[in-house]
Amino acid sequence: MDVLSQLLGSGVAVGMIYAVIAFGYQLTFATSRTLNFGQGEALMLGALVGLSLVGHMNYWLMLPIVMLFGAVQGAVVERVAVRPAIKSKSEFGWIMATIALGIIFKNVAENIWGHDQLPFPSPVSQTPFTVLGVHMVPMQVMVIGGALLMMLAVELFNRRSIYGKAFVATASDLDAAGLMGINTNLVITFSYALSSMTAAFAGVLVAPITLAGAEMGAVLGLKAFAVAIIGGLNSGVGVIVGGLILGIAETTTAYYISTGYKDVPGLVLLLLVLAVKPAGLFGKTVIKKV
Amino acid sequence: MSMSATKKVLVISGLAGLAMLPHLWPNPYYVHLMVVIGIYAILLLGLDFVVGYVGEVSLGHAALFGVGAYTAGVLNFQLGAPFVLTVPAAIAVSAVFGLILALPALRVNGPYLAMVTLAFGTIVQILINEMTFLTNGPMGITMDKPSFFGHRLNSGEYYYIVMALLVLTIVVVHRILKSYLGRAFEALRDSPVASDCMAVSVYRYKVYAFVISAALAGLAGSLFVYSEEYISPDTYSFHLTIQFLLALIMGGRKTRSGPILGAIIIVMLPNVLADIGLFRQIALGLAAFAVVYSAYGLARKRLSPRQVAIPLAFTVGLSVFSHRISDITDYRLTIFGLLILFVVYYLPDGIMGFLRSLVQQVRPQWVRRHEWILDKGDAEHVWAPPDHAVTVKGNLLEARGLVMQFGGLRALDMVDLHVAKGSVHGLIGPNGSGKSTMMNVLTGIYRPTAGEIEFNGKIISACTPSDIAGEGIARTFQNVQLFGELTAIENVLVGLHHTYRSSLLDLMLHTRRSRREEHEARMRAASLLKFVGLAELANEEAKNLPYGKQRLLEIARALALNPSLLLLDEPAAGLTAPDIKELVGMIQKIRGHGITVILIEHHMDVVMGISDTVSVLDFGQKIAEGKPAEVQSDQKVIEAYLGGGAEQQPA
Repeated sequence: MDVLSQLLGSGVAVGMIYAVIAFGYQLTFATSRTLNFGQGEALMLGALVGLSLVGHMNYWLMLPIVMLFGAVQGAVVERVAVRPAIKSKSEFGWIMATIALGIIFKNVAENIWGHDQLPFPSPVSQTPFTVLGVHMVPMQVMVIGGALLMMLAVELFNRRSIYGKAFVATASDLDAAGLMGINTNLVITFSYALSSMTAAFAGVLVAPITLAGAEMGAVLGLKAFAVAIIGGLNSGVGVIVGGLILGIAETTTAYYISTGYKDVPGLVLLLLVLAVKPAGLFGKTVIKKV
Repeated sequence: MSMSATKKVLVISGLAGLAMLPHLWPNPYYVHLMVVIGIYAILLLGLDFVVGYVGEVSLGHAALFGVGAYTAGVLNFQLGAPFVLTVPAAIAVSAVFGLILALPALRVNGPYLAMVTLAFGTIVQILINEMTFLTNGPMGITMDKPSFFGHRLNSGEYYYIVMALLVLTIVVVHRILKSYLGRAFEALRDSPVASDCMAVSVYRYKVYAFVISAALAGLAGSLFVYSEEYISPDTYSFHLTIQFLLALIMGGRKTRSGPILGAIIIVMLPNVLADIGLFRQIALGLAAFAVVYSAYGLARKRLSPRQVAIPLAFTVGLSVFSHRISDITDYRLTIFGLLILFVVYYLPDGIMGFLRSLVQQVRPQWVRRHEWILDKGDAEHVWAPPDHAVTVKGNLLEARGLVMQFGGLRALDMVDLHVAKGSVHGLIGPNGSGKSTMMNVLTGIYRPTAGEIEFNGKIISACTPSDIAGEGIARTFQNVQLFGELTAIENVLVGLHHTYRSSLLDLMLHTRRSRREEHEARMRAASLLKFVGLAELANEEAKNLPYGKQRLLEIARALALNPSLLLLDEPAAGLTAPDIKELVGMIQKIRGHGITVILIEHHMDVVMGISDTVSVLDFGQKIAEGKPAEVQSDQKVIEAYLGGGAEQQPA
């Protein structure tokens, strides 16, 4: 029971990280039906930039700078890799171009920060504590809380502000929004900025647990794909539930079967969900008008 | 389908060249490189099915390649199975994995296949590493070149095995892509909706394409093990997948030469990127080419300064960069990434596509994008009985209580429709009254929220569009849905897809059956084009036809399905008055051949002139039905069209 509760704790924490990244996929998918295949690299850059900054300043001051950096990086990805492909209606184009940028970012990071995994200072104490019989490390609590806060903030922004309304309008009908005078190109750029910002934030959150390095993004980005599909590419609740399912499935598989196999349930779940309910567990099936 | 003399000479000299290469370059290092090029080319020819033809992205081909390699390796290592068994087993196992991935991932539109195959790639690497009892884990498997009758092949001899299989692959792939299957692949990419409504299930053919592609990846993988004599898990990485995609798009999609060129480039690339001197020269060469080409383009006003600025800056920048760095290995991946970006944006049709467009500028007659189909049709080959004979008595189609709800809007509200066998049934109503929704519900594009549709004694309201088309309901579209990149006659041939029975094996072997079927279909297609008056335009690309002719082509394509019910959605829109007269004659002939017609039309004289019964829809409800004359004088109908309610006459 003790082991199981610990597994649950760490499963929830890692699941929330997947959820935040998957949430980032949803933001860009909503506005442009595209995804950043280099999202993992956005997360990695956030963590490494944060690591370089945190030596010179307070942890809490570093956070907004990293988020700003993430937003700029996301806007660059959209302008270089996504916009030309949307114009030429080429799915192959944006998939390959975002992958290519991801490869470049990773290589640049290797040249700046090296190939090693670097320790990332934790802003909170390292001593575990117990809540309701579950052993947690304070950093895990911060990951869970931070991830939820981030998603909540973006949702509130979309629902309450006029810019958010433009975002929602573009997501529901790109052409109509354009005809209503909304600069849809700008909204798409903005969605990429938001998406990479959440990824960069997730990178800083997760780095004290996983260590920071050029390699850290690839696997996380991939898991978040699985979460986005399992939960549904258009469901906010879906990514949270999907993240929790995957996070817990992984930690329990790692403990009860073997660490080597911990990534396997993700793919199996992914294929099962697609076979049974292609829109995802919580996704809405959209009727495509002809 | 005979080859021209020049083509024959080219093919024979190409084969001779291939056979001579190891004698010209006996260095074992080069022979090995050529073997790897041949193996990669086989995989890329397969990848082209997915990426080039059906337009999906696979990020799992390195893993499928690995599955093939490990199937052959493990069978040989654990059981000592010979080459002739391991290779077919590798093909089969990879194909099965391809099927397992494609079946769920292709159910939905969007980048799902890319996401699922990416995950698959990671998992395969993990499994190979973990399943040590089978795969020997990270240690890898060592094995020998194949033996035949006690003789172990050396690398020179193995070269001939790989090249023979490459030539075989090219022939087989070419035959498949030139057959009705290849046409289906191109059609479904052009207009998925129209494909489904021509009984060519988009989902099914995308899965076929992926499975064929996976099988070829398996073949390539098994050949690779014997070539390297050693396999380990980290070979089959994400990086290799990206290399394959880069090779394919750089060489040129939808060609046979592109994959071969692409394979040569990616096999040579690591050598180029390892040698800074060579890299500098190539970068300089590229920059020089870009400068000359841009200058030529600007001088001839073919390119604008904006268009040339980025590629020019890129190539010149690359050249400067190559002289600034002393060691290239740290930047290999960046260069690789830049290369992908460059190819995606500036060489989307690859090097072969670029060369082709250059040739087209100088000698347009040398470039032929479509096979010219010169069969002449005649009147007796226009008609054929439906695939499913009409067995029902009375009404051919019965729709009962149809409801179609879009969010808060009821586009159809408890509509009943009874269409008598052999009649022309008009369906009219003001714009937005639900006519087109009705068409889409009848053909399965929308699944009705409530109600059922019975066609020829069978409930079809839960069937897919391609199954409904297979039952014998053909349609045209209000907003034309032709396969724009295909010629007119190819469009009709897609409609005749259901008449083909040849198996994959028939196509590979080019059997008599497959030739006979193709000949019959072409005869039929030419006859149908003649029937709608498009015989002269048979080899014109559909997108180049004028609007009115496109509508007629849609009718020819729909008739190719041998329907028992034909749905015409505003066929007269965009036609001139004399054309409309011909259209009316055509519809009468169609009915004369026993085909029931549902006609949506805004030209009242057309509808009232040829319909036996007319139903009127307004705000999703059926407000009137009857003989044309009755409907025309119906008060509700007049109100619906002219507005009203204010001047209601007392009863």
